[in-house]
Amino acid sequence: MWATNLRIIGIVLGTLALYTLIANKIPQVQSEVPHALTLGANVTPEQLVTAGDQLYHGAGGCTACHGLGTRAPNLLTDEKGQGPIGARCGKRESGKDCKAYLYESLTSPRAYVVQGYEPIMPEMGRTLSPQQLWALVAFLESNGGAVDVSASDIPATAAAPAVGSGAGGAPGIAGGSTDPMTIIRGAGCTACHKINGEGGAIGPDLTHVGSRLSANLIRESILQPDAKTAKGYEKFKGVMPKTFGHQLTAEQLEALVQFLAGHK
Amino acid sequence: MTAYLVQAVADTASAYRDFPVIGSRAAIWIAAEIHLMFAAFVLGVPIFAVVAEAIGIFGKDQRYDRLSKEFTRLLLIAYSATAIWGAVFVFLLSTLYPRFWAYLTAIFGVSMWVYVSIFFLESFTLYLYYYGWDRWKHGRAKIVHWCLGILLNVWGTIVMFIADSWLTYMMTPPRDITPETSPTSIKLWHAILNHTWMPINIHRLIGNVVFGGAIVGAYASYRFLAAKTEEERAHYDWMGYVGNFVAMSALIVLPFAGYWLGREIYQYDQSMGITMMGGFMSWLWVIQAFLIAVLFLAGNYYLWVGMGRIPGAERFRPYTKWLLVVLVLGALVWGTPHTMIADSRELAAMGGSHHPLLGALGVMSAKNTAVNLMILSTFLSFLLYRRANIRQVVPWAKTGTRIQAGMFVIAAAIVLFFGIRGYFVEAIVRIGYSVYQVGAVLACIIFVTVIDVLMARGAQSLGAIQWGKMPPRSQYALFILAVTFTWLMGLMGFARSGIRQHWHVWQVMQDLTPYAATPALGYAAIMISTCVLVFLSLVGFIFWLGGLAEKSTFVPAVSTVEAPHVGH
Repeated sequence: MWATNLRIIGIVLGTLALYTLIANKIPQVQSEVPHALTLGANVTPEQLVTAGDQLYHGAGGCTACHGLGTRAPNLLTDEKGQGPIGARCGKRESGKDCKAYLYESLTSPRAYVVQGYEPIMPEMGRTLSPQQLWALVAFLESNGGAVDVSASDIPATAAAPAVGSGAGGAPGIAGGSTDPMTIIRGAGCTACHKINGEGGAIGPDLTHVGSRLSANLIRESILQPDAKTAKGYEKFKGVMPKTFGHQLTAEQLEALVQFLAGHK
Repeated sequence: MTAYLVQAVADTASAYRDFPVIGSRAAIWIAAEIHLMFAAFVLGVPIFAVVAEAIGIFGKDQRYDRLSKEFTRLLLIAYSATAIWGAVFVFLLSTLYPRFWAYLTAIFGVSMWVYVSIFFLESFTLYLYYYGWDRWKHGRAKIVHWCLGILLNVWGTIVMFIADSWLTYMMTPPRDITPETSPTSIKLWHAILNHTWMPINIHRLIGNVVFGGAIVGAYASYRFLAAKTEEERAHYDWMGYVGNFVAMSALIVLPFAGYWLGREIYQYDQSMGITMMGGFMSWLWVIQAFLIAVLFLAGNYYLWVGMGRIPGAERFRPYTKWLLVVLVLGALVWGTPHTMIADSRELAAMGGSHHPLLGALGVMSAKNTAVNLMILSTFLSFLLYRRANIRQVVPWAKTGTRIQAGMFVIAAAIVLFFGIRGYFVEAIVRIGYSVYQVGAVLACIIFVTVIDVLMARGAQSLGAIQWGKMPPRSQYALFILAVTFTWLMGLMGFARSGIRQHWHVWQVMQDLTPYAATPALGYAAIMISTCVLVFLSLVGFIFWLGGLAEKSTFVPAVSTVEAPHVGH
């Protein structure tokens, strides 16, 4: 019986050793923790680029999608003949310079989904501080373009405490802007809703929403999207985020409600 | 954000304590993992026991009743081990991570009281179930006793669902909960009803059945190898077959529950899903594919060797080599890496982000096709095993067999068709194809089984199964199955927990300890192997104690005509 016992122990230990060995032979990748950046008032663009580079290739988790060419656009290499991101970021949105476009793409990625890709990118403001976000912007600009992020950009947004997300960014969505269309794009509404010919068709068209809903009902739909579901859209119930009550400032919410109510 | 982090760091002194030598993360890891393994055992085996008892009652086969009782006896000791490791886990969590523990209790405190109460009821139901076995063994009393077994499972399932709500909240807290949300303001039911709660419940429920079957198989194989008489050997051979049958049958369903869980994770947060499947954890799935290949190969090997003790099985033997070819090819495709985090040197060596040849096999179209064909092959192995010692006498037997063969061909064709077509459509369409593939395989399994059962009516026996006439190597295959199932459970637990990365509660409460980063697979493998070794050593001790407490309750096989294995 001892021989049998030893054989069983040998099989158990051998099997465990084999699995452990294989798991140790493959490439070892550890997740990284984004460390808080303490960039002083005299931070140079080079320091920002270096910090952004580390974040991009490490704790930011950007390389899980960007660079594969399938899930998200290439940023550090050419994308469809337009060059790396620093070379094309200034041309992506009319009236928006490279710096603003990149920052908003990080904080409200669903507002700037590149054609041919799915809206899968998370709002980076939930996990990264404004300093880290600006470091990323500087790094991305440095890939094919000129870096114009400076120390003056950082305190402007870092000074204000975050609202809702608790993880960074200016108060409210889209830097606290009260321009309704900026809020709509910044909040990613057009990823699902169409308004004035712009946006998707997953949710109801908002172009004439004021003729269907009162201001109170529009407000309720923004704050509690599942409370009442528009006819024909029942299968999408639960898709719309329930977080706008935390993310929008009161001023933004009212601007948005009045704007939509006026769309008759 | 900065203010929040600074405050949190300032609080760190009272938020965390360290554990000597191995550190607090390793201490929690070991306690939680071993507690979970015992919990899976004490939840999986009662399902096994109550089904066996039902077969004993309604099939009037005493051996199943004895089998059920034998395992319930082991449960008594295993319950104590589960509770001890649970207490170790809670004490470590509350002393090493007091701030996080306080946060969890602020939300889930009431459910923790309910948990303890139900655990109390569960324990006493188990005592009644075991100690009442011989007292309530006839007529209506026996049915009442069986109902106690069902009640035991109900309590166990509720306990598991409650505990699942805590861990799934950590993974997928409702989106309206932010770092600023006071835990006392969070409604309990709102926290319980998070995105991954029900998928995890179902996945664990099935996983526990698989695990219970595998441990039963390992126990039986040990007793088989230690048996001193032919009768004892026959009994434990039969028990090992039943354990393997249960484990493999439930394993076939498990991937579907896994798909659901994965889909819910993606729906909750795409980045979490991408981290899991294509981020730093991508290599984990190659290891998982290897482990599942071992399970399929060992499970099938056990069946093929087992056919050696069945008169008439020799006519099916030529088919097994082709089944082996399908299984090996399927395993190779399933284990092919696709989207990996690679550095610039590795990318240059591959000539792009994907390997030019293997990249085509590493996509889900190829992998889903491979795994579905592996499932079909395993089902065919079971079918051949079932039919080995009988000759059907129903007049439509030939037609029935042709229909069965046609169903296999159609199911394989559907799987292949959608597998190939998946290369030519968009991702969103391709994902939907897996439903058709799975549907075809499940439909084949169900209809072929129904036809087989009907065809076996009044079948002529070619001779009784020679239980006990198994070479020892077949029993070692059962050990490999048990070790692999246990290791796989540890690996999947690491995947589920690890995708939270540096968060105690995803994007709500950050881990600020030096152990916040999710470790690489190599370290995780060492931890998993350690936990599996401790668990199996303790289970071995429990089995030994069980043997001391009461002599084996096997009874000799009665039937000599009909093959008395599951499925007949």
